[in-house]
Amino acid sequence: MEIVFGRLDERVAQFTLSSSSVAFANSLRRAMMGEVPTLAIEDIRIYDNTSVLFDEMLAHRIGMIPLKTDLSRFVRKEDCTCEGAGCPHCQVTFTITIEGPTTVFSGDMISDDPMTGPVEANIPIVKLWEDQKLVLEAVAVLNIGTEHAKWQPTIACGYKEYPVIEITDQCDGCGMCVDECPRNVLEVKGQTVRVVDGKLEACSLCRLCEKACIGTGIGEESAIKIDTDETKFLFVVEGDGSLSAQQIVEEGLRYIRSRSDTLVEALQEISTEGL
Amino acid sequence: MIPVRCFTCGKVVSTAWDEFKERKAAGEDPKEILDSLGLERYCCRRMLLSHKEIIDEQYPYQ
Ligand code: SF4
Ligand code: SF4
Ligand SMILES: [Zn+2]
Ligand SMILES: [Zn+2]
Repeated sequence: MEIVFGRLDERVAQFTLSSSSVAFANSLRRAMMGEVPTLAIEDIRIYDNTSVLFDEMLAHRIGMIPLKTDLSRFVRKEDCTCEGAGCPHCQVTFTITIEGPTTVFSGDMISDDPMTGPVEANIPIVKLWEDQKLVLEAVAVLNIGTEHAKWQPTIACGYKEYPVIEITDQCDGCGMCVDECPRNVLEVKGQTVRVVDGKLEACSLCRLCEKACIGTGIGEESAIKIDTDETKFLFVVEGDGSLSAQQIVEEGLRYIRSRSDTLVEALQEISTEGL
Repeated sequence: MIPVRCFTCGKVVSTAWDEFKERKAAGEDPKEILDSLGLERYCCRRMLLSHKEIIDEQYPYQ
């Protein structure tokens, strides 16, 4: 199994996973989306809210704000030594105290932990007019995306099988498939078509080119054949900023490893029990 | 208020609203504004395109 990065930024990672299987690719995708923990606001205590939004609406908006998370410093509340009481290792408290007229932004949340705060400071929460006031306390905890989407570190996260484009000798270079392709993957070169250099990965596997080719009256079989390599996958992972894209991939892989280790242990236990 | 994130993919779109509104009022093509704001998926683009700000109308009834 091999991973080659095509692009690796703070927010976005693009990579090819090769010598693998659909099952592994999908478990990696699911692990990155649903099993990598981040911080998000879970409990809110509202002392004063005279804004035009209901408390629930306000709480929902605040919950959706992505928070910068340092995974080495936090544990989930149920695994913490404080046994659910809440301590600096398992929760971060934010306070908002603001009077109108103004717009309340995520940057107005004051954190009790200087290292943890909203990823973006300019997310609007609510607009306040004169005589309107907002006083609240919000507690962020660590949890995972399968519990609620606000703890999901990824936004767009998915994969496709690696495209394999084959052009047979039947091709006469008429160019109908080139006109049809929405991703500009193909070009006419002499008497035949070919894949534009570096464009293979852009192919969306839509097979419009095959249809166009058959439409030219070439016969039953298209001269261009779109297939996929079922052992090679193109991934795109985009983070919401709470973790870096690299961390999301690493934590996803780590989760799969720890789960499979647990499975191996359990199987060994079962198999030795009977002896 | 503009939703904090895109309903579909979860990208934070609310930060782009003020700029989008101003530039659109100035007569710029929404396509170009969205492209320059880095909103490439159509799920995120419709969040801004189809948003109607009604918080100012709610205010007198509070
Ligand atoms: S499958 Fe679609 S994207 Fe790929 S080469 Fe054919 S027409 Fe282009
Ligand atoms: S439509 Fe068929 S015959 Fe024409 S260029 Fe494309 S592959 Fe070749
Ligand atoms: Zn604790
Ligand atoms: Zn979106």
